[in-house]
Amino acid sequence: MADELAIQARHLVKAFGTRRAVDDISLNVPRGAFLAIFGPNGAGKTTLLRMLATLSRPSSGTLAIEGVDAREHADQARDRIGLISHQPMVYPDLSAEENLLLYARLYGVADPEARVRELLDQVGLLHRRLDPVRTFSRGMTQRVAIARALVHDPDIVLLDEPYSGLDPHAVDVFDQLIDQIRPGHTFVMVSHDLRKGFSLCTHALVMARGHVVTADSKDALDFDAFERLYRETVGMGVA
Amino acid sequence: MAQQNRQRLALKHPSTFAQYRTLLSKDLRQEFRTKEMVTSMGIFAVLVIIVYGAALALTAQSIDIASMSGGLIWALIVFTSLTGLNRSFSHEKEQGCLEGILLVPLDRSVIYLAKATSNFIFLALVEVIAVPLFMFFFMTTVPFAPTFGMIVWPLLLGTIGMAGVGTMLATITANTRSRDVLLAVLFIPLIYPLLYACVTATTAAILGSAQWMDLYTMPLVMAAGYDVIMLLACWVLYGFAVSA
Repeated sequence: MADELAIQARHLVKAFGTRRAVDDISLNVPRGAFLAIFGPNGAGKTTLLRMLATLSRPSSGTLAIEGVDAREHADQARDRIGLISHQPMVYPDLSAEENLLLYARLYGVADPEARVRELLDQVGLLHRRLDPVRTFSRGMTQRVAIARALVHDPDIVLLDEPYSGLDPHAVDVFDQLIDQIRPGHTFVMVSHDLRKGFSLCTHALVMARGHVVTADSKDALDFDAFERLYRETVGMGVA
Repeated sequence: MAQQNRQRLALKHPSTFAQYRTLLSKDLRQEFRTKEMVTSMGIFAVLVIIVYGAALALTAQSIDIASMSGGLIWALIVFTSLTGLNRSFSHEKEQGCLEGILLVPLDRSVIYLAKATSNFIFLALVEVIAVPLFMFFFMTTVPFAPTFGMIVWPLLLGTIGMAGVGTMLATITANTRSRDVLLAVLFIPLIYPLLYACVTATTAAILGSAQWMDLYTMPLVMAAGYDVIMLLACWVLYGFAVSA
């Protein structure tokens, strides 16, 4: 069972002083799954995702990424993770190609030039590869961000509010790209958008005040009932 | 459950030096494209020289400018470096780029070394223009001592130390609200021993008095010692600073 899990977290806690942003969360994410994490502002979703991305060290608990202890061997775990955030994490004054080559070389991709061209082609930006990212629209910048996150071919793709600031067309393009890369990858997405997240996920998790309120496979959930549960427990402040 | 069954892309982890070179070339390419840091430091240095001109214009005949020149040059360098250091992390914070770099499996101290090197290069570049400009405006009437060329060594050691310590402090203050003020408040006291040593050695080289070697050597050794200790401390502590 454990070797089928892409992510295995046990009793994860992240405390800032006396405040626990993530409080004793355990989760198993099977390989190939798409876990959507919902919750109101301040629920601890992004803090949890940052721990999964190894950007933040848990105060306590254990975390295994593709079987690698992420606390002890963070560098090995980082090879397996790609993060797409609402911030694109690309240098605006460098071209799309220069940005991707930078990351490809840092990760040690064998043929960085070929990999970057392949990814730019995949995200539809090959014709703009030499233009500075500063000249790109928000949607195009987010496509560069997708290519950046995939440049080292990670097994797990983490999405932190990836639709933030995108217009409807850019959302459609983003969805198509996610569909393309979905086979063979495990996804964890943090979102406020219940309907969008629910349509994409195979598993759903609701957080409030650092705790898991509910977590289940989508097959076991009905959207209307799930939305009602989400509003009752989170919106009413019961959690 | 959907099971992954795919051939992963082969990764061959680059050496620490290769990662350092990649990050440094990124910083240099970015700066030579925007010229943001060098231009702002250069303009600031010229403005400081203009202020010196106004401040010293009425007293230039009665003061010994040569014995003050070491202090004036280093005041110019310290304030100019603060202007640059405040900007050195603005690119990294913009669009979350630093987090993107932190996601890569690399030793955090490599990020420090690359950023400190680029800051050193930009500061040295501005000094190459600003120091001769200072000499041109204020020291044309002063006879040059034969030891004058030796100001290169305190300038070099001082710039290395300031770039090293400044990069560490710029990282720490990058996320604070009043980072400009906080950087200055932390930077100047921390570099004071280096500043003192460099002012003494620079002045000794410019004056070239009979005991110049005594006044020059010991401060230079102090500056070199400061650089070694502080750069090692920053190297070791950088991972903690950048992650926090």
